[in-house]
Amino acid sequence: MDGIELEIVWSNIISIVSEQAKALQRIAFSPIVREAGDLANALFDKRGRMVAQAVTGTPGHINSLAAAGKHFVEAFPTQTLREGDVLITNDPWLSAGHFFDITVMLPAFHKGKLIGFFGSTIHHTDIGGYGVGAGARDVHEEGLWIPMLKLYDAGEPNKTLFEMIRRNVRTPDHVFGDLAAQVSSARLAGKRLSALLDRQGYEDIDELSEEIISRSEKATRESIRKLKAGTYHGESSFDVPGGDVITLKTAVTIDPKLGEIIIDFAGSSGPSPYGINVVMNYTHAYSTFAIRSCLDPELPNNFGSLAPIKVVAPEGCIVNCKYPVPVNARHVVGMYVPMPILKALYHVMPERVLAEGSGAVWTIQIQGRDDRGDPFTSSMFNYSGGMGARQTKPGPSATCYPTGVAAVPIEVLEASMPILFTRKELREGSGGTGASPGGDGQIIQWTMRTNTDWLLNTVASRTDLAPEGLAGGRPGAAGRFLVNGKPVSEARKMVMKPDDQVTLETPGGGGYGAA
Amino acid sequence: MPSYALAVDIGGTFTDVVLRSDSGQTWVDKTLTTPEQLDVGFFRAVDSALAKAGIKPAAVTDVVVHATTVVTNAVIERKGPRTALLVTEGFRDILTIRDEHRYEMFDPQIEFPEPLVGSDMTFGVKERVLATGAVLTPLDTKAAEAVADELKAKGVVSVAISFLNAYLNPANERAMRDILKKRMPNLYVSISSDVAPQIREYPRTSTVVMNAYTAPITGPYLDALVAGLKKRGFGNEPLIMLSNGGVIGVEIAKIFPVRMVESGPAAGALAAAYFAEVLGLDRLLSFDMGGTTAKACIIEDRHPLVSGNFEVDRIYRFKSGSGLPILIPSVDMIEIGAGGGSIASVSNLGLLKVGPQSAGSTPGPVAYGRGGTNPTVTDADLVLGYLDADNFLGGDMKLDLKGAEKQMAELGKKLGTSTRDVAAGIYRVVGESMTAAARAHAVDRGIDYRGVPLFAFGGAGPVHACYVADLLESPMVIYPPLASVLSAFGTLVTPPRLDLSQGALARLSSVDWHGVDGIIDKLVEDARKGLASAGCKPDEITFKFGADMRYFGQQNEVTAWFDADPRKKHDAAAVREVFETEYEKLYSLRLPEVDIEIVSWRLVATGPLASRDSKIDLKGQPAKPSRTRSARFNGDDVQAPVYARRELAQGQSIDGPAIIEERETTIIILPGWRATVDKTGCIMATKD
Repeated sequence: MDGIELEIVWSNIISIVSEQAKALQRIAFSPIVREAGDLANALFDKRGRMVAQAVTGTPGHINSLAAAGKHFVEAFPTQTLREGDVLITNDPWLSAGHFFDITVMLPAFHKGKLIGFFGSTIHHTDIGGYGVGAGARDVHEEGLWIPMLKLYDAGEPNKTLFEMIRRNVRTPDHVFGDLAAQVSSARLAGKRLSALLDRQGYEDIDELSEEIISRSEKATRESIRKLKAGTYHGESSFDVPGGDVITLKTAVTIDPKLGEIIIDFAGSSGPSPYGINVVMNYTHAYSTFAIRSCLDPELPNNFGSLAPIKVVAPEGCIVNCKYPVPVNARHVVGMYVPMPILKALYHVMPERVLAEGSGAVWTIQIQGRDDRGDPFTSSMFNYSGGMGARQTKPGPSATCYPTGVAAVPIEVLEASMPILFTRKELREGSGGTGASPGGDGQIIQWTMRTNTDWLLNTVASRTDLAPEGLAGGRPGAAGRFLVNGKPVSEARKMVMKPDDQVTLETPGGGGYGAA
Repeated sequence: MPSYALAVDIGGTFTDVVLRSDSGQTWVDKTLTTPEQLDVGFFRAVDSALAKAGIKPAAVTDVVVHATTVVTNAVIERKGPRTALLVTEGFRDILTIRDEHRYEMFDPQIEFPEPLVGSDMTFGVKERVLATGAVLTPLDTKAAEAVADELKAKGVVSVAISFLNAYLNPANERAMRDILKKRMPNLYVSISSDVAPQIREYPRTSTVVMNAYTAPITGPYLDALVAGLKKRGFGNEPLIMLSNGGVIGVEIAKIFPVRMVESGPAAGALAAAYFAEVLGLDRLLSFDMGGTTAKACIIEDRHPLVSGNFEVDRIYRFKSGSGLPILIPSVDMIEIGAGGGSIASVSNLGLLKVGPQSAGSTPGPVAYGRGGTNPTVTDADLVLGYLDADNFLGGDMKLDLKGAEKQMAELGKKLGTSTRDVAAGIYRVVGESMTAAARAHAVDRGIDYRGVPLFAFGGAGPVHACYVADLLESPMVIYPPLASVLSAFGTLVTPPRLDLSQGALARLSSVDWHGVDGIIDKLVEDARKGLASAGCKPDEITFKFGADMRYFGQQNEVTAWFDADPRKKHDAAAVREVFETEYEKLYSLRLPEVDIEIVSWRLVATGPLASRDSKIDLKGQPAKPSRTRSARFNGDDVQAPVYARRELAQGQSIDGPAIIEERETTIIILPGWRATVDKTGCIMATKD
C-alpha cells in the first residue's frame, strides 16, 4: 500500500477512536475519567491485535487495553460472535489492574462480516467492596469481580449480570450510565469505520491492520537500532503509605541487532500487604510508555510499535503480582515504574529523559456529615508535586508525571462538600537545584466545616525518600502529610476530629546537572 | 444625500476596509497593518476608501464598525503594561499551577505558556467567600490598603482581582476595587465577578488577568479612534466587533477587552451567516483556509454556533490545553495547522505527512523564492497547475515553479512516485486532515455534517474547498464575493449582541426559582444597559435564555437553550426536557434516573440589524476562458479553462474541471462539479 493512501486511512482511523474517547471523557461520571482522562479507546483487528488507539488517556490505561484484546479473542472465538454482542470484564490480571476499570469490547461488523473490535476501558465511580484506597487485605475485599462475560448477547441484555452489578455497587445509576456510554461510543465508532471503509473501497481491515502493524514495528526497531548496545541499570526507591519502602530495579537491555529492548525488574521489592500491588499488564503499560516517550513519541501506539519492547519481572514481585494480593491503589507503585527506566535510559539518551519527580499523584477522599447532619462521600481528588528537570529545561512545578491528571478546581470541591481550603500555593525551594532545577511541589491546606467526626483517606507517597537529582543535580524535597502540624503516614482511612487541619506538602522534582 | 456605512478589519498582516452606500454600492481596500500604532493603519485605510468613493466623512451617517486583532497581538507578544493580580490569601500561584495537567502525554520535553502576570506580581489579600456565597471573612481593609500602596510604589498600571467564589458574591472584590480606585483613580481595575462570573478559579482568573492585561492598550486605542473619527467629521462613534459574533459600543468594549479576542474570524463567520440568510440555506460549514491554519465553523439556523470558552496563544501545534484559557463567549471554531504554508514530509513510517509545521510567510513556500526549501501545500497547488506562477496576487508576485517542482521531486523519490503524483498526494492528505477536523467538530456538537454546503474563503480555501466538500458528502460549495475583505464585510451584517452568564450551582429538583428570577433579572438588566452603548432601544432587544447543565455527578456541562423565558413558568420538567434533548443529540443517551444540575444561566441579547446588502456588479455577457492551463485532476493532466472572476456574468455556468481566478485566491472547480454565478455575486458550485 502506498504512503499516501495509508496515511489517509490510518489518520482517519485514529481520529475515529480519538473522537469517541473524547466524548466518553466528557460524559463520564467518574471524576478520574473526566479530569484525568483515565480511559482508553482502541480498534483491534480480528486477531485481537491493537491497530489504533485514541490520542488521549493515561499511560496505565492505554497500554493495558492493548493487552486485553488478546484475552478477549481467546475467550470468545470470533466465529461465535454476532452483531449486537457486547463483551465485558474487569479482571485485574486480564485488563487494567484493578476492579474499578471495566473494559468493554464490541465486535465491529462491516457488510455482515466481523472485521475487528472497538474496545474501551474506563475507571468507574464504584465497584463495591472497600472503595477507594489501599486498605483491603486481599483482592476479594476490593469489590465485584466481573469475569469475561457477555453484557449483551446479540443485542439482548444479560439480565443476570445487570442485576449482579446493580446489587454490588454503591452508585448503580452512574455505573450503568458509564457502561451505556462505553457501548454507545463503540457502536458509533463501528458505524464511522464502516463508512470509512465504504468511502475508501475496503471490504475489511485485514490488509490495513497488517500494514499499520508491520510498518510501526519496523520503525520502532529501526529507532532502537540507532541506540548504543548494552544493558543499563536504574533503581528508584520511594516510601508508600504505612511507611514501607519500595525499590524498583530495572535492567534495560538494548539489542540493536534484533531491534529490541528488554526491561527486567529482577531484584525489585516483593508483594505488599496493602492494595498497591501491580499486575503485569499495568507494569508493561508504564514501562512501554517510558521507552516510547523517549524513543519515538510521535509514533502511534499499536501492537506493532509495542512489540519490540519486552517487559519481564519475577513472578509474585510487586510489579508482577499474583492472585489474591490486593491491587486497588496500584497506581501508587505503578506511576513510579518509569523512574528507574528513565535513569537507565539516561546512559543512552540523556537529552530525552527527565530526573525523578514526585511520582504518583496524591489522592484524597473524604466522608462525613455536613452541618445539617446529611452524610456525604466526596469523589476522589488529587494533587501533584514537581516534575523532574530536563537537560536543558526546568521541571514544571505542580504538574503530574507520568500520568496526566488534572486537579479538580477548589471551587468545585467546595461546592460539593463542606470543605474549606486555606492554602494552595507552590512550595518554594522544594525543587532540587541543578543546571536545570526540578519543579516545585505545592502546599495544600484545608479544614472541614462540620460538627462531627469525618473520615480521611489520603494516599501520599515519597514523604521520606525524596526524588533524586540526575547527573549531579540535587534532590527535590520529600513530601509532608501533616494533621494539625504533625506528620502522619497511614495507609488506611483515618478518623478525624471536626476542627482538624490537614496540610499536604507534595514533593519537589529532582534537578538535572550540577548547578 | 446617500448614507454610507464603513467597516474596518485589522488583521495580523492586512487592514481591510469596506465602504457601502445605502444603494448597495461598495468600495474596498486592503492596506498593510501598522502593528506599532494600529490607528495609523486604520485611518489610512479609511481615508483611502473615502477617496475612492469621493465622499466626505460626514456622509458616513450609518455605522462605523471595527474588528481588530489588537487584543490577541498584545497577548501573543506579551506587550501589555505592568499588571498585577490580587487573589485570596494562600492562593498566589494559581496561574503557574493551572490545573496541574499535561496537555501532551508522550512528550517529556513539554512546556507551558508563560502566564501574563508572574508570581512576583501576584498578591494575596485576606478575605474569603464560601461556596454558598456567604462572606466568611470580609476584606481586611488595612491589608488591602497596604497592598494598594505596594502596587502604587511598583508603578502598576492595571490590576486584576480574582477572589475564590467571587462569582457567587462580588462584595469583597468590589470593596478591594474601591480601595484601589480611591488611591489611584487612573488605575485600570478588572474584577472576576464582572468579567467572567463562572465557577472554576483557574480559567476565571486567567480571563480576568487577560482583561486587565489588555485594558490599558485597548482603552487608549479605542479613545484614539473615537477622537480621530470625530476630528475627521464622522457623525457616529464606532461599534466594536466581539468574539461572540456581535457588535457593541466602545464604552462596553473598553471595560471587557478580553471579549474582543478573535473578532476578525468571528466577523468572517457572521459573513457566512449573512449569506446563509440571503441564499435561504439553514446550515453552512464555513471553511477559511489561510497561510498557516484552516478554520471551520458551523452555521446553524443561519447563526454561527457560539461556545463559552476559548484558548489564546496555543504554543504546541494548536493543541487544546497548550494555551491560555479564557471564559468568553466566542464563535465556536475549530482551527488546525493546515494552510498554504504547511510543510509536507515523509515520516519514518513511510507516510506522507502535511503540517502542522508551517513555512509561514518567511521563508514561506519554496515557490515564494525567499529561501524556503520545504515543499508546502502552496507548492503542491502550483505544481498541480491550480495556481498560476505568473498571475499570483494578480501578477504582483512571481512564483518559482521550477524550484517547487525540484523539491517536490525529492519528496517523490522518498515515496517512489512522480512529482505531480506527490503534489496530488499532498492535496489529498491536507484535504483529508481538514475534513477529519471538520467532521469531528460537527460530530462533537451532535450535527450530521453530510449534505451541509461549504462556504469557502481565505487565500487557500477556494483552491481546496471542492475536494473537502466531496469528502464531506456535501453537494454545494459557495464562494462569496468580496472574499478578500470578507471579515470587514461581515461586521456590516452583524447585529449588536451581548452574551452574558452567571454561575449558580443548583440541583434542578430543588432549585430556588426565586433566586433564579433574580439572576436572570440582573442579566437582562445588564444586557439592556450594554446594548444601549450600541444605540439599541430597550424594546428593540430580543432575548434568548439558556443554561449550562449536566447530570448530577458529571463535571462537564452542556449548554441548552429554552424556547421561552424560564422566569415565566418555573417549569423544571421543561428544563429537564430541553437538557436531555440536547444531551441525547450529543451523546445518543438519556439517563432518566439521574437528577440534573444547573451550573450557570446564560442570556443572549440581540439588537436589530439594519439591512446592508451589497450590490455586486456582474457582467451581462457570459465570459469566455482567457486561456487554458495544464492541471492535474484525478490522476490525469488536462488543459483546464481559466476564467477571471470579474468577467463572469450572472447566471453563467462553468463545468469542472475549470479554474476561476481572483486577485487573492483561485477557485478550483473539480470534475463532476458545475459552477454557477448567482445574482448575489456568489459562485455556487454544485454536484449532481
